[in-house]
Amino acid sequence: MAIPSKPSDHFNTTTTPGAPASGSTIAMDSITLTADLDALAKISAFITAAAERCGLDERATWQVQLAVDEAVTNVIQHAYDPDQPGDLTLSWQCRDHRFIITVRDHGRQFDPAAVPEPDITSPLEERQVGGLGIYLITRLMDEVRFEFSPQGGNLLTMVKYLPHDQPDPPDEVVVIPIADRIDAQTAPRLAKQASEQIAKGARQIVLDLSNVPFLSSSGLRALLLIRKELMTLGGELRLAALQPQVHEVFAITGFTQVFNIHPSVAEARAAFSQRR
Amino acid sequence: MELNHRRLNRVDLIEVVGRVDAATAPQLKQLIESIFADGRYRIVLDLSRLEYISSPGLRVLIEARKKAREWKLTDLEGGDVRIANLPPRIKEVFDLTGFSSLFEIYGDTVEAVGSF
Repeated sequence: MAIPSKPSDHFNTTTTPGAPASGSTIAMDSITLTADLDALAKISAFITAAAERCGLDERATWQVQLAVDEAVTNVIQHAYDPDQPGDLTLSWQCRDHRFIITVRDHGRQFDPAAVPEPDITSPLEERQVGGLGIYLITRLMDEVRFEFSPQGGNLLTMVKYLPHDQPDPPDEVVVIPIADRIDAQTAPRLAKQASEQIAKGARQIVLDLSNVPFLSSSGLRALLLIRKELMTLGGELRLAALQPQVHEVFAITGFTQVFNIHPSVAEARAAFSQRR
Repeated sequence: MELNHRRLNRVDLIEVVGRVDAATAPQLKQLIESIFADGRYRIVLDLSRLEYISSPGLRVLIEARKKAREWKLTDLEGGDVRIANLPPRIKEVFDLTGFSSLFEIYGDTVEAVGSF
């Protein structure tokens, strides 16, 4: 990270255009300003916009905003002499479902161990008035790290985890065995079963049809809907071990061209890994 | 931040609007101290339009309540800083920092003013 030699308002933008900045897409930005009280409102607006870009919800955005505000307030009040404020650089990036923020200053070394944790249960009379800033930062963020080097100054790194429902690991194959005919009556149950798996994060699904003696047009429609839902999410549906009379339904309707059909579950599984 | 101060019979009512951070907290502190300087120690803070508070603001609140409670009329009656209308986000900060149990918090200003 390049630090300008003179404090000034300065923007650095490296962003990935197009796709929203969430998931594994990397987006980042930084701002360097003079560490005085005027910086607070600017930094608040800067970090709020960044958090929204990263896909943080309203509450997480607010938590990040407060943590950053506390960190910057500490720099303004303690790192530099009030009549000789130095520079402060705030950077953020968002990757791997993490919103990572760093605050760097070149003022006095900050030792977090020297700040006693406030006893938030003590009664008013005994309640200490200070020490809340660091405490709030650690409570609001998922990871907090303080570092100091004579060259680089103080570096505070704060991480907020982004909520995500990607499967973990994301490329696991889910096999759903179906033990009944697929018709207008049973199709909704099948659709529900598949939707539940998809909601849990499954993206590669094999339907084991070895015990399905009959497939009606309603059943076919249900399979098409599952296929479509998966494809929308970047996933894929494969059908395995069709009985001859069921295979014929696909052949007659031309849907053998639409679905990935495999002789056995093992071959369907293997087809997923070959694609990679 | 915007401060709307109304002097009632027995109580001073301050509506705190917007952001209370390191930049604006000193103004709130100054207003509260000027009320104390007039010999008045019963304050209600209406926080219904408070959008944001960070630790310098919390510090002002705690110092104010400590100071107000030093003033006693009788054993039962005295000074205090009480709070009316705590928005959800601000309540979250109060909960995190233990402030919820440090202050008397009321659902509206009428109730808070009437509590004195």
